[in-house]
Amino acid sequence: MSKVQSGAAEGGFRQAMAWLHTWGGLWACWVLFVIFLTGSLGVFDEPITRWMKPHLPQASEATGDTRMGDGFDRPQAVRMARTWFEENQPDAHFWGIGLPSDEDPSIRLFWQDPQENFHNARIDASTGNPVDGSRERDSEGGHHFVHMHFEFHGGTAGIWFVGAFTMAMLVALVSGIVIHKRIFKDFFTFRPGKGQRSWLDAHNALSVLSLPFQLMIAYTGLATFYALYMPAGIAAHYDSEEAYFADLLAQPAAQEITGIAAPLAAFDGMLLHAEQQLQRPASFVSIEHPNDSSASVRVFGRFIEKPGEYRLLGDGGGRVFFNGVTGEQSDVQMPGELRGGAAQDVQSVMANLHFAAFGGHLVRWLYFISGLAGAAMLATGALLFMVKRRQRSLNEFGSATPRVYRVIEVLNVGTLTGLTIACVAFFWGNRLLPLGIADRPEWEIAVFFAVWLLSVVHAGLRPVARAWVEQLLALAALCLLLPLLNWLTVGDQLFSYLQRGDGERAGVELVALGTGVLSLWGAWRLTRPRRAPAAGRQRAAAAQARS
Amino acid sequence: MKSISPRSRALLSRTLAALLGGYALTCASVIFLGAVLPLPKSQAILAASLTSFAVYTAVIVWAFATPNLTRIWRVLLIASLALTGAGLLLGGDA
Repeated sequence: MSKVQSGAAEGGFRQAMAWLHTWGGLWACWVLFVIFLTGSLGVFDEPITRWMKPHLPQASEATGDTRMGDGFDRPQAVRMARTWFEENQPDAHFWGIGLPSDEDPSIRLFWQDPQENFHNARIDASTGNPVDGSRERDSEGGHHFVHMHFEFHGGTAGIWFVGAFTMAMLVALVSGIVIHKRIFKDFFTFRPGKGQRSWLDAHNALSVLSLPFQLMIAYTGLATFYALYMPAGIAAHYDSEEAYFADLLAQPAAQEITGIAAPLAAFDGMLLHAEQQLQRPASFVSIEHPNDSSASVRVFGRFIEKPGEYRLLGDGGGRVFFNGVTGEQSDVQMPGELRGGAAQDVQSVMANLHFAAFGGHLVRWLYFISGLAGAAMLATGALLFMVKRRQRSLNEFGSATPRVYRVIEVLNVGTLTGLTIACVAFFWGNRLLPLGIADRPEWEIAVFFAVWLLSVVHAGLRPVARAWVEQLLALAALCLLLPLLNWLTVGDQLFSYLQRGDGERAGVELVALGTGVLSLWGAWRLTRPRRAPAAGRQRAAAAQARS
Repeated sequence: MKSISPRSRALLSRTLAALLGGYALTCASVIFLGAVLPLPKSQAILAASLTSFAVYTAVIVWAFATPNLTRIWRVLLIASLALTGAGLLLGGDA
């Protein structure tokens, strides 16, 4: 059996890696492109959310007020939240209270029902009544891209899906490095206008230039979910994940639900005690097993970002643990206090590296550009595979080869331009869907998926060369008209944002305009009359592949 | 549908060895290192888990670079069993 030729592990090490890079990379490249493009947009989830929710205030320069008296009555907020929970969700297993701040002046409520499903709602911090969202532009905002990035809106299964493809990314990076003999020379090599050679040069240059970022982002992404992806060590040595984390972080162990009813201690007392301890305002209160004798309460201190001072470790806001029934403090972790030793420090640094939780705007822009370079690396790799085979079929799949090539072409168009169109369509959906409809955020996401599906269908129905041009033109139109749409629907656009110094919202439209111009240029490149004989041959081969 | 060719079967076997066998060996490495690294147990497990993605990558690359399929399966099986067994014995409490 081991003598059978399969193409894999044949020839020397480098040849085996070339096979692995080509075929491992091919099946993974489309999903990875989605992960990279949405992840790059997710870097700017807050600016995108602000663009999508015009009622939110402009981002303030100093975030994280250190003053206790910042104008919000937090003791009253936790009392209101408790009243709402006692009346509406007395049987939930978990209550969470997001306290009002400059960023969002309402009280955000989260809970986990007895079936372990998560829900959320908002109440007004001055009246305690549910926020009337019917006149607001209710939206998932930039979180949509973050959720696409790490779980494809698919919950735990989605996180596993993304993890599997991230492993494929690591393998493709390692095999790519091995087959790359001239890693430094290619740094400076780009031969444009030469068909396949140019695509290879572009793929190599993008990959080599952004290699440290790609390795870092793939590895830290996996490390973020280590307890989910690699639970073997925890399962072998601990009774439960909770017991492991309690041991690692030296925290009070989680209690099982006892089923014995017991009223909770007053929330405002615990809140004030915690703020006194942490010497900063609280941002979040969580209650495990409310109204059970096992109830516990955690109060989290506000994260305070100091402009111009960034650290990868120890910027936490601190937290205080309470026995939920007696209201007695059971543990306190002060702001910046590190627990879990060097291993936990490494994990925290990895997570902060992945989330660009340091370095402010400059680092976010670097991540955005590097992430797009990763997406472009994947795109050029996918295109290169077909450019190579359009000229001369390699016949890898016998008589099915033309059909397989056709599927790859359709997936290329449907993912590279199709997904990008869907991302912009998400912004259009935000402005065009009527206000006040039920589940408006879900409808926006439905628009995203519907437009993506339509793009794939379109790519499947049209000749591939036409499909590229048409989708690039559609993308250009959606991008370039976005500020106009915004002006017609909300009354704001790029210039009014710039006038008000709202760099975040203006940035969204500037990136859209830049993408639109690039797409127009791409469409023009594809349609202009070609003089090179290679172009005619390519077109003929493409026509042949379609037939 | 024609039956699967020996060529495809070999590729399938290799892919399964790399992905599933590789994952099993990686889990075994975490169980083992979690027991033997000279750190408090929870930190040893965390350190081993963080390293595991590099281990998995290396095993996949190895499985796609080693011509002899039988040898790949044999090494994966023996190493996984040995590391898991040693990790559980040395871990003491499982």
